[in-house]
This record gives sequence, structure tokens and C-alpha cells, in this order.
Amino acid sequence: MPKKVLSLLCVLPLLLSGCGNSHQIESAAIIENVSVEEKDGQLLYTFYLLSDSETPEAVGVPADSFEEAQGLAARQYIPHLSLAKLELFLIQKEVMHEIMQRDIEYISTQASFSPVAYVTLCDSAALEKVKKSAHAQETIEKQLLLCKSNHPEVNIHYLSVFNSYADSRRDCFCVPYITAEEELKVSKLMIHKD
Amino acid sequence: MNYSVKEITERLQAQFAGSADLSVRQFTLKSKAKRSAALYTIEGMVDKEGLAQSSLNPLLVYDFGSQTAAQTYQTILHTVLASSDVTEITEEQLIAFITSGFAVLALDGAEKLLAIGVQGYAFRGVSEPESEVVQRGAREGFTEPLRVNMSLIRRRIKSPDLVFEQLTVGKTSQTQVMLCYLKSAASPYLLKKLRQRIGACNLETVLASGYLAEYLEDPHTSRLFSGVGISERPDTVCGKLTEGRIAVIVDGTPAVIIVPRLFVEEFQGVDDYSNRTYYAALIRVIKSLSFGVSVYLPAVYTALAQFHPEYFPSWILIKTARSLSQTPLPVTLEVLLITFVYEIMKEAGLRIPKSLGHAVSIVGALVIGESAVTAGIISSSTLMVVATAAICSYVTSPLYPPVTMLRFVFITVAGLLGLWGIVLASAVVLISLCSKTSLGVPYLSSLSPFSWRTMRDVFVRANWKTLSRHTIKVQNFTETEER
Amino acid sequence: MRVEVKFSSKRFLLTLMLCACSVILLQNHDLSRDASFTFRLLCLAAALLFCFGCYLPSVFLRKRGEDILSVLQSRPKWERWLITAFYCGYFRYTAVYFLLPYTDMFTKKYYTEASPCLIALLLLCCCVYAAFKGANVITRFGIFLFVLAMVTNVMLFGGSLSSLQMDADSLVPRGTLGDFLRDAGYFLTPCFTAVLFACLSGYTRNFRLRQPLIALGFTGLKYALVLFFITFAVGEYALRQDYQTFVLSRAAHFGSFSGFESLYMALATMSVFMIIALLLCAMAKAVNRNGSLPVIVLFAASVFAVHFAAANFDSAKEIFNSPSLLNLLSVIAAVVIPLFYLIIGRKRYA
Repeated sequence: MPKKVLSLLCVLPLLLSGCGNSHQIESAAIIENVSVEEKDGQLLYTFYLLSDSETPEAVGVPADSFEEAQGLAARQYIPHLSLAKLELFLIQKEVMHEIMQRDIEYISTQASFSPVAYVTLCDSAALEKVKKSAHAQETIEKQLLLCKSNHPEVNIHYLSVFNSYADSRRDCFCVPYITAEEELKVSKLMIHKD
Repeated sequence: MNYSVKEITERLQAQFAGSADLSVRQFTLKSKAKRSAALYTIEGMVDKEGLAQSSLNPLLVYDFGSQTAAQTYQTILHTVLASSDVTEITEEQLIAFITSGFAVLALDGAEKLLAIGVQGYAFRGVSEPESEVVQRGAREGFTEPLRVNMSLIRRRIKSPDLVFEQLTVGKTSQTQVMLCYLKSAASPYLLKKLRQRIGACNLETVLASGYLAEYLEDPHTSRLFSGVGISERPDTVCGKLTEGRIAVIVDGTPAVIIVPRLFVEEFQGVDDYSNRTYYAALIRVIKSLSFGVSVYLPAVYTALAQFHPEYFPSWILIKTARSLSQTPLPVTLEVLLITFVYEIMKEAGLRIPKSLGHAVSIVGALVIGESAVTAGIISSSTLMVVATAAICSYVTSPLYPPVTMLRFVFITVAGLLGLWGIVLASAVVLISLCSKTSLGVPYLSSLSPFSWRTMRDVFVRANWKTLSRHTIKVQNFTETEER
Repeated sequence: MRVEVKFSSKRFLLTLMLCACSVILLQNHDLSRDASFTFRLLCLAAALLFCFGCYLPSVFLRKRGEDILSVLQSRPKWERWLITAFYCGYFRYTAVYFLLPYTDMFTKKYYTEASPCLIALLLLCCCVYAAFKGANVITRFGIFLFVLAMVTNVMLFGGSLSSLQMDADSLVPRGTLGDFLRDAGYFLTPCFTAVLFACLSGYTRNFRLRQPLIALGFTGLKYALVLFFITFAVGEYALRQDYQTFVLSRAAHFGSFSGFESLYMALATMSVFMIIALLLCAMAKAVNRNGSLPVIVLFAASVFAVHFAAANFDSAKEIFNSPSLLNLLSVIAAVVIPLFYLIIGRKRYA
């Protein structure tokens, strides 16, 4: 008798829990890259979905912060948005200071955001290339790794960027900077905290 | 008590209720007293020619003169019968002997009956067992008759240390069961326990070793994995006997039971001991991995597809998502359904004649599988995952039943609770395995309770020099129950 | 529950070590912010030394072939009931102490939509089964958990090597007395394993004094490694989030190969499962030497009820989140009571 009661106790929660909370693979929207730039005087957050098509599938969300953009995107455009597999966070150089202060801080408190995502600054032309070609992201990642091996002091992952930013004993730190005059190129950029 | 042929015959015919296969050959011996005798046999179970030559002809020809019944009995036993296998029995043993293929001679006025070993029933020859094929081992496998199986073991262990102990099970079938062990290796405690368990078997008929296997399991332990080993190979059985294990040979079945059985044995094979140690180690690692894959792969796939798609590598994720988006069923149901259909096809493949086997394979793999994927009923990724798990489950074929059950359970749990559910279910299964014993020996011995001494033949087989230094008896494993 | 055969003391201590290590797995913001890494190591060493001291009374009892539960059998009924009630209460408190952060971490970090009570209920159902099988079986399970812990640790620490940024400043011992008390207090939490030892060591054989010492040594090593990598590989980022070992597992990576939080989650789940199963087993044995399924189910139900209350009322949650209270109770259960019976026993033998 106790065994039957125990079995029932085990099975009941299983039955009651159901599959309702699951995010099935076919409906999940896995975000691969996020870029942020200024357009018409407002910040534009672009979420690039993971896909194998030649032209990236992207959704641009005008918002004041990453938190707001993420909420808006999940509500209006991408219902099951997931940032757990984020690979690249591209920041337009012009909006760097704004993003560093607000979004980098916010992201550090989010468990869902991958700390090993690459973070890089870039110019507008590089951002345009990323929007047009899916291969651009691959090239950027290769360039970042190359840059890291040539300049070990450059912080390429979100984790190291945040730690350098948050370290009160440091006045400046290095991040990669992607430019695209003809082709994508990476160089290091020193950021002074003040 | 002096027997009367007439009375014995009447009693026997009454017991057999006029059964057509009971053969009674009554005759009169050449003597002054004109003494009656009878030979009882079961049709088709004796070698008639052998019986005539070794027993009937000499009996009819020999002149017993004026001998008394007792003298006639002794003369028959020591002088007349030309058979090498003659046993003195009582009337109570008569049925057991004639149904085992003996011819039983009854003599008027004698105090005992004589069982003459002239078995001559048709049986399958000694051939290589299909379920345990080896590359470099013997090509002999057990067959159905008990005596043939005994001889296959005796030929490999030519020592008086090897003991065959006869027991009978099955109220109606009166099946002969032979306990086989090495006197110097087997634990008397294990033997006693085994005899008790066989004695407790109250089945009407025992037609295969599987009937008995359940009675040999330890009480109050999980029955998911079997604590009773089965082998059709005499060399495997002989190897186990030297480790202190006990074999139970059931008449009429080529599957010999070996107890105690440990989990790590499922990953060992006869070939391991003929191959190089490094290769044997590789094979064992492959077997262990296959076991893991066959249990966990469909469940992990379900959990990842349903709850944690981000854990898939990007290129797999895209392809899997696309493939699954074209199918109507949720991924859990789809995996369960394909696994279920696969089990049906496997059963069909086993049951139908061999000549039709290819047709079923073609229908199953090409027509159903291919068409279902093309029609978008099932996804190709799910099909591949289930097929991989199915193939892996055959690498450790004795574990097929528990693996199949666990696969279904894990898929369901993964579909409901994701990876966390798999972890929790694994914990419960591990606890159940850790608590299991086989004849008092912990089932997971060598791994848990852990012992360096016995690890020499688990994942890596030590070389023969090390193995032969001293044989580790099964009763010497850590935490084995002793009286 | 089956009658226990004596099992290896080494394995029991390995299990207790795994239980002790789970404290750092569920670590959540209890350490002082200003203390340096080296200072924390000193706190850790001092705390574990104290932990070893907590083992000593029951070690001496064990040397006499007894544990606290077997000693109680020969005591007057009222006294036995009183002490048993205390131990049952203690074990229930400890079970909820671990269950609460686990369910909290699970719902915050891993699966945000799950209900903590459902998670607790499912986990407890499995724990009841394990407790019913007995302490010997749980310690056998511990061997597999040890292998999983080794794999997870290699992945976590190996994967964090690339992010390592050594800081000479953190290597200088720096901290105040308040920091010492706070950190050492937290590192004292593994004392609860001494209570389990006091209650269940009677079922073990081949005990040696060095065994708890080695177990605590390895616990210390694990803590030190986790602290080291959290400080120098995850750094400031770890402080922004709860459950820093989880953050460490999220940050660990070999090139583009990451996602070790699933391994961490498996280890944390199995560790908490093992702790609660052992606690339920000890509770059942405190009431009845052979234990029984209804007793275990009853205790599990009470743990669930307390967890439910603690998960829904913040004031109750605070009580169950306090390492100081757990340490105080652990010291009473592992030191004061065994010491009392040790002295009484000596007088009786004298």
C-alpha cells in the first residue's frame, strides 16, 4: 500500500506539471547577434535570428535601453526570444558611452545572457555589412580571435569587458573596433572611463 | 516389497490414462518358473535398435534355469544387460525415468526396477549460438538435452572438482535441473541459498530457464535489471564457474542460468579474453558508451528540443528546428511514437520467417520511414536519433529489455520536465541499481561498492599474467552478504 | 527499509564530503565583499579546523563502537524522546536549509517558469525512495556522484582558465574581524556533516581518524578552487548575480564550447537529492533503528510543508537562510550532545 501511495505521489506532479511551459525548438527564437546603433536620434536595437539563409533575419526595435528593447521585441515581434545563445554584441562607436553605462550594467544582472558572447565596437559601415550578409558575423568572430591572439590585453568577451569596466582601479581598458571601409577590419580601441 | 509386472503395468496405464505414446513390451523369460517381465518406454524417446541389442535380445535368449526372482534380477543386472547405463530404481521413480528416455525393466518378484539408458530422441545438434557469436572462440553452443549440455561443460573442465547436482522442478513437467559448480570455488552459502530458491519454485511446468530465473532473483530488489545471467556458450559458463559462480542447466533449453550476475558482466565478452588487452578495453568502452547512448540519446534530444534548444550547436539547431517545424506532432510524442513503431517492427522482424525478414526491413526502413519523412509526418532528425539509439541498444543485447523500458521512461520524463527530469530519473535508477543484489552480491560490485582489486576486469582487462595470479571469487566481492 | 549491513567508513566519509561540497555549489552572497581571496582562505582553514573539532566527540563515540542513536537506546524513555525530537527537528531544518536555495536557484536561473513547490515535491518523492533504501545504498550512489563531481569540476575550472586574470592585490590577506566572523561563519556550514556522522557512523566499519580529516581537506580544496575561479576568472561579474558557482559554470568555456550550467545543475540536483535522502534516512533511524517507509514519508511531508511555508513567507525564509542558526544547531547536535553522552559513558565505564 505505501508503495502505491508513493508511486501516485510521484506520478501526480508529473501529470499536473504538463508540458505547457516548454519552448519547443521549432517555435523558439534563438538570437545570434544583437547590434545597437543610433538612427534618427534614437537608439535602434537589432536582433538577428539564428538562421542559415544568406541574408540575415533581423528585427529592429527602437528603444531607450537594452532592457526595453528586449521586452518590446519579445512582446511585439519575437514571442519566444532567447538570448542564451547570443554570440556577438555589436555596439556602434558613437553610442558606446551610453551603452556602457546602462546596458552593460543591466546585462550583467541577467542570467539568461551568455557571458562568453563577443562584444565589439564597430562603425556604421560594419553594421551595414552585418545587416546585409550572414557571413559578416563569421568574419568578425575570426577577426576578434585574431585580434585577441595578437593583442592579449583586448577584451573580446562580455565577461572581460564588464570586469574591466567595473574595475575601479583601472582608468582605461581595450576593446576591439571593427571598421569596414572596403573589407571588415579589426583594431584595438582604448576606452577611457572618464 | 516384491513387484508384480501385471500390477505395475495396470497402475502405469491408469496413470497415463491410455496415452498412445506409452509402450509396454511384456515377455516371458526362459526359465523354469516362466517368470514374466516387461519393458516400459515412451514412444520416440528411446533408441529402439539399441534397446533390442543391449537389452531385449539378451533377455529373451538367456536361459535363467531354476534361478529365484532375486537371483534372476542379479543375473540380469550383472550378466545379461549389455548397456553401460543401468540404474536400480523404485516404482515411484518409474515415470520420471521413462519420460526422460530410459527403458525401465520390471521383473515379477524382484524388489527393484532397472532403468536402462537407451535414450534416442531426436534433438538439435551442437551449433554456434546465434545470440552470442564470437570471432575467436569456440563454435559450440548448448543444445536442448541436459546430458549433452553437461558433457559440453565436462569436456572443458576435466576435473573431479566439477559437480553436477540434480534437482527436479515443476509439479507436472518434472523438469530436471542441474546445479553445476566447482566444489573448491563456489560458496556453500550461495549454494544453499540457490537450492532453497529452486526448492521454493512451485510452478506447474518449467519449460525454459526463464521460468526459473525469476525465482532466483533476490527478494525486495529492483527487477528492472536482471540479477540472473543467461548464456548459451559452454566456454562462457566454464569461465564463470571458475570465478565461484553457479550454473543452473534446465533440461530442454539451451539457455543456461548463471548466478550471481553483476552489472559489469554485461559489458564483458568471450572475445575480450582472446583479443589484445587494449582492444578489449576499447570494445568495453564502446559498449559502455553505447549503453549510455541507447538509454539517454532520445531523452536528451527530447529535452533539448522541447526545453533547451540553445544547447544544440548552431548548425544542428537550424536543421533540427526546420525538420521539426514541418511535422504535426510535438517532439515528445514524435519520439515516443517512432520508438514505439520501431519496437513493433523489431518484434515483427523476430517473429516472421527469415525469408520474409528482408521484405519487412525494406517495408519498414524504406516505405514507412522514408515515406513518413517525405510526407512530413515525422522528422528526419528524430528518426535518426531513435535509429541510433536502437542500434546502440544491440551492442549490449542482454540489457535490451531494461534499456527499452528506461528509454520510454526517460523520453516521457524529458518531455515533461526537461534535462532536470532526466537527472532526477537517473538518480532514482542509480539508487535502484545500487540497492540491487544478486544472491547477496551487490549488483554494481567493482563500481559501487568500489574495489581497485576487481577493477582489473571492468573497463580495462588486465593481461593474463595479472588475471591468472589469483582468481577473484564472486563471494569475495565487497559487502557480499554472508550467512 | 532493509536492515543495514555495515558498510565502508571511507565511502561514508566520501558521501559526507560531497554533501559538504554542495554548500559552495549553492553559495549565494553570504561572503563579505571587502575581504581578499587569501583572507577568505584563512577563514576557510579556520572554519574547517573547527568542523574537524565538531567531528571529534562522535569520533570517540565511534571508537567505542557506538553512534549517538545507538547510545540513546539505553537511555530513559523521556530522555530518548527529547533528544530524538531535537535531532528530527534539526534534520528537518537542515533539509529545508538546502532545499530552499536549491529551488530558488532553479527557478531563478534555470527554469524561470517552474513552481518551486513542484520542484521540491518531486525531489522529495525521489528522496523518500532513496532514504527507504538506506544509508548504505545512498553512499554507494555517492560514488557515481563523485565521478560526476570530478567531471563537472574539471569542466568548470578548466573552462575558466582562459578567463583567469590574476590580481596581486587579492593575494594580500586583507579583511576585518567582522569579515572573518562572517566568512568563517559561512564556511562552518559543513558542520552539518558531523551531525550526520554522529548519527549514522554506527553502521560503518574500518573507521580511521584520518578519514574525516581527508574529507574536510578535500572539501576545503574544492571551496578554495571555487573561490579562486570566482574571484579571478569571473571577478566582478559574479557579484552582480546570485548563486556565483552557477555564474562560474555559465562563464566557463573551451573556445566556443560552453553550456556547462547543465552539468552544474545535474551536480547540484544530485547533491541536494543525496543530502535530503541522508537526512530523511537519519530522521527515520532516530525514531526507529530500522526505519520504515511511513516514517520517511511523514518526515518528507513535514519537510515539504516547512519548505512551502518558508518559500511563501519572507520571515520564515530568513530563519531558514541563516548559516549562523544552522551552525549553532550543528554544534549542539554534533558536539554538545555527543560530548554529554561521552562523559556519562566514561563515568559508567569507570
